[in-house]
Amino acid sequence: MPSSNPLPPKENALFKRILRCYEQKQYKNGLKFAKQILSNSKFMEHGETLAMKGLTLNCLGRKEEAYEYVRRGLRNDLRSHVCWHVYGLLQRSDKKYDEAIKCYRNALKWEKDNIQILRDLSLLQIQMRDLEGYRDTRYQLLMLRPTQRASWIGYAMSFHLLGDYKSALNILETFLDQQQKGNNYDYEHSELLLYQNMVIYESGDLKQALMHLESCEDQILDKLTLKEILGELNLQLKQFEKAAKYFEELIRRNPENTTYYSKLIQARELTKPEDIVQFYLSLADMYPKANPPKRLPLNYAVEEQFRNLIDNYLRQGLRKGVPPLFVDIRSVYTDKRKVEIIEQLLLQYTDALKKIGKFSENEVNNGPKEPASCLLWVYYFLAQHYDYLQQTEKALMYIDAAIEHTPTLIELFVTKGRIYKHAGDPYEACKWLDEAQSLDTADRYINSKCAKYMLRANRVKQAEEICAKFTREGVSAMENLNEMQCMWFQTECALAYQRLEKYGEALKKCHEVDRHFSEIIEDQFDFHTYCMRKMTLRSYVGLLRLEDVLRGHPFYFKAARCAIEVYLHLFDEPLKDENTEQELNMENLAPSELKKLRNKQRKARRKAEQENAQAAQAQVKREQYHKSKQQGDIEADAPQLDELVPEKLAKVDDPLEQAIKFLQPLQNLAQNRIETHLMAFEIYYRKEKILLMLQSLKRAHRLDAANPKLHTCLVRFCRVLNQNKDGLDPIVKEVIEQEKVLLFNNKDAIQLNRDYLDTYCNSLEAVLEGAKMLYYLNPKLQSTALGLVTNLDNKYQDVNIKVCKNVLRSLKKGDFGQCDSQIEEFMTRCQTLFLHAVDFRSSSSTSVCESNHVPPDQDNYSSN
Amino acid sequence: MTREQIELGNVTPHNVKLLRHLNNVIFPVSYNESFYKEVLKVGELAKLVYYKDVVVGAVCCRIDTSNGARQLYIMTLGCLYPYRRLGIGTRMIQHVLKLAETDGDFDSIYLHVQVNNNEAITFYKKFGFEITAVRRHYYKRIDPSDAYVLQKLISHKRTANEGHKTKENKKKF
Repeated sequence: MPSSNPLPPKENALFKRILRCYEQKQYKNGLKFAKQILSNSKFMEHGETLAMKGLTLNCLGRKEEAYEYVRRGLRNDLRSHVCWHVYGLLQRSDKKYDEAIKCYRNALKWEKDNIQILRDLSLLQIQMRDLEGYRDTRYQLLMLRPTQRASWIGYAMSFHLLGDYKSALNILETFLDQQQKGNNYDYEHSELLLYQNMVIYESGDLKQALMHLESCEDQILDKLTLKEILGELNLQLKQFEKAAKYFEELIRRNPENTTYYSKLIQARELTKPEDIVQFYLSLADMYPKANPPKRLPLNYAVEEQFRNLIDNYLRQGLRKGVPPLFVDIRSVYTDKRKVEIIEQLLLQYTDALKKIGKFSENEVNNGPKEPASCLLWVYYFLAQHYDYLQQTEKALMYIDAAIEHTPTLIELFVTKGRIYKHAGDPYEACKWLDEAQSLDTADRYINSKCAKYMLRANRVKQAEEICAKFTREGVSAMENLNEMQCMWFQTECALAYQRLEKYGEALKKCHEVDRHFSEIIEDQFDFHTYCMRKMTLRSYVGLLRLEDVLRGHPFYFKAARCAIEVYLHLFDEPLKDENTEQELNMENLAPSELKKLRNKQRKARRKAEQENAQAAQAQVKREQYHKSKQQGDIEADAPQLDELVPEKLAKVDDPLEQAIKFLQPLQNLAQNRIETHLMAFEIYYRKEKILLMLQSLKRAHRLDAANPKLHTCLVRFCRVLNQNKDGLDPIVKEVIEQEKVLLFNNKDAIQLNRDYLDTYCNSLEAVLEGAKMLYYLNPKLQSTALGLVTNLDNKYQDVNIKVCKNVLRSLKKGDFGQCDSQIEEFMTRCQTLFLHAVDFRSSSSTSVCESNHVPPDQDNYSSN
Repeated sequence: MTREQIELGNVTPHNVKLLRHLNNVIFPVSYNESFYKEVLKVGELAKLVYYKDVVVGAVCCRIDTSNGARQLYIMTLGCLYPYRRLGIGTRMIQHVLKLAETDGDFDSIYLHVQVNNNEAITFYKKFGFEITAVRRHYYKRIDPSDAYVLQKLISHKRTANEGHKTKENKKKF
């Protein structure tokens, strides 16, 4: 261990003991030995000892001291690889990976063949996806340890990840050549071969991949994957007969896997619907117990054949009592004729079952009666059927008939709630889900559904209480749900807070979700060594690729969208400082009233103080809990993230910058969603960044040029350009001139808007945006604009709850200026259209219905 | 109708509300809070019946030692209307009879039936119950308010010696 300042033998022995203590996690002892060295005046400033002392302190959670000692150590011995390595480890434990990489590199300068440092460096490089650096480090490791398997695999994989398939394959081949002599066909060997095959496949040489796989068929133990890949390769190479053979075999193995069927259809080159139906029917004979050959032909059959097939399929499901039967069939509802047939059949079943207990009145004399539960399932199906078709009253009628028939089937209450949800009444929906939940409190699915419906009804506290039935005891449910990364809950929570205008709370939830994603990316770290050792290379590569696009997940999108919307809102209408507002009001008050107000304030303050004290207590408890947890946890060195405080989040100074942080992952990973670019436009519009606005518009335009929201962006952009005509940089101007052709056809804002309104005159959703812009461009046209969106006669084909809610929101937001009487008229009109929807009830009647919708006391309810 | 379609299940704090729903629909009398508390403690004496995985009926009993004898009292036994005549009641009464048999220490099983409920009377007679008494004004809020007491004596009550053994068995309930 060369150092610029070597210790004499006695102290050196002590130093080695510090290292050993660190490895064995005996930190207290380590500190003792460090003290023994450092208390000797000759070695008070011994760099490596100071560094090790710092590292040990870090493990005891004393981070600041740790940095101090490590840095001091390093200053005293800049040429020691130990000091640099220690500094790197410290940074790594702080998740500052870039810094850590630099430290390791410095350490290697002084000790270039240190295996431990090279390994640590390679882990950081792969974590940070510094693939070239990773390759070089893996090369050094291979040179130093050519006998180790991991050295070879790691080096090969670095080329694979870089897309250099040829080099990757060369290395794998060389390695396998040495290996084969042992003839050990264990699972790890088999996985390695499959990995090799994956690399060949990705290189694009399918023929070679097939040959490779066929040549080592008997060495591969994962027979299922083997057959799947063989089938797929043959299929892609258009060797259909061979492919068909494999997929037939696979279906025999598992007749429930639907992809095998579609692959077999490809292999048999069937394209005509009637052939495909025939294909499924013959397989249904072969595998009478399998579901896919009965369900899948329903996608292809038409008219009479469809009627016969669906008749059998429905009867079977209803007889057995398959709860998700409707959900299973729902995908064929895109075909109107099929919906008609299904409805006819179900109505026929209802009549026949009521009269003679059979599915058809023509079957009076043959066979036994159907089970008594059949009628129940028919009602249940019909309720969902009409709900899907937005015929709320019929749906309610059938669900009530079902509940009357069998009041103990929990699914019925869930469906009743869902019908109300679709009809626009989240409060009534929530009530029925609560009822469902109370009937089986051990059912976690229903419990979660119920919590979700409560959040939709903005009842956050209640939702938390419901979830508490399944979260760990002793911790608040909210906290436990965060710890469990229960993202659906947190996102729904955020949306509820957003609706309640509690922006800080909403942001807190969004940030929590964002942190889960960071944590999942963090968690990769352990797999870099584990997967290499266990030889699960295909899954490992899959994991790396998944992590690369992790924030493309819909969960992230939802939370990010909410955060961006809230930040935009906070930019448009920053939260007012409560104190200053009150001071302003006070000026207009009589002295007696002022006194009253002061009293009130004093009381409020006292109450707030009490609450704060309680919160502080809870905080102390929480910390204690975390501490106790960490003691058992070796990885206690994870950095503590800043606590998310709603008040601070809502009073953010730079809302747009914060919004951009959420937006950026979407721009990379969710480019295919037009909302990404529309949100980007909204942010850059407020930041007045013309080129970035243009970029967002172009991307959105490419995805869907007719999108209504895009239209408002275009019109506003047009206006921005007009206003800044003279101030623009000539180069920017030139770029914009070029793009104008594509985006606006060279029209001006007014013309653009007029044409849009003409083209999409039968869509309320589109007209809403056009009318908004009409008023925006010329406030004198207010009544025209209002007329366009509030006259709901037959000209629009999309008058539904969602669009009407958007119209109402827009009216209330002031997009059309002052228009109170029109709002009221519009609400009345919508109320007759959507009986159950709460949004269109006038505010006085809402408060009444709110109290009606408070879920009844359990006992009261059950006595109904 | 195959037998496997009918299964018995326990009443637990998680699903006791289903029992309430059933009783509210099936019986003209409503049961109070203490009834539902009690059924959670009696183990095998209270059972839900599942028909093709849907709860359609329930039976609840209690041990009655008030008359100096040890009797098994059927508090409720009922099934939703659409599921009658499918063997569900039979399944429940068989469960009760078997309970009495394995316990071995009961003198009789008894229950009350509204005097005009012929269907129920026929049903219980089929299993060896007999009308042993009339209780005038047994029901408070329904008409007729009189009830028959239907009883079935347990003929093979075991001797004291064997009875001791069953006391241990009883703990399993």
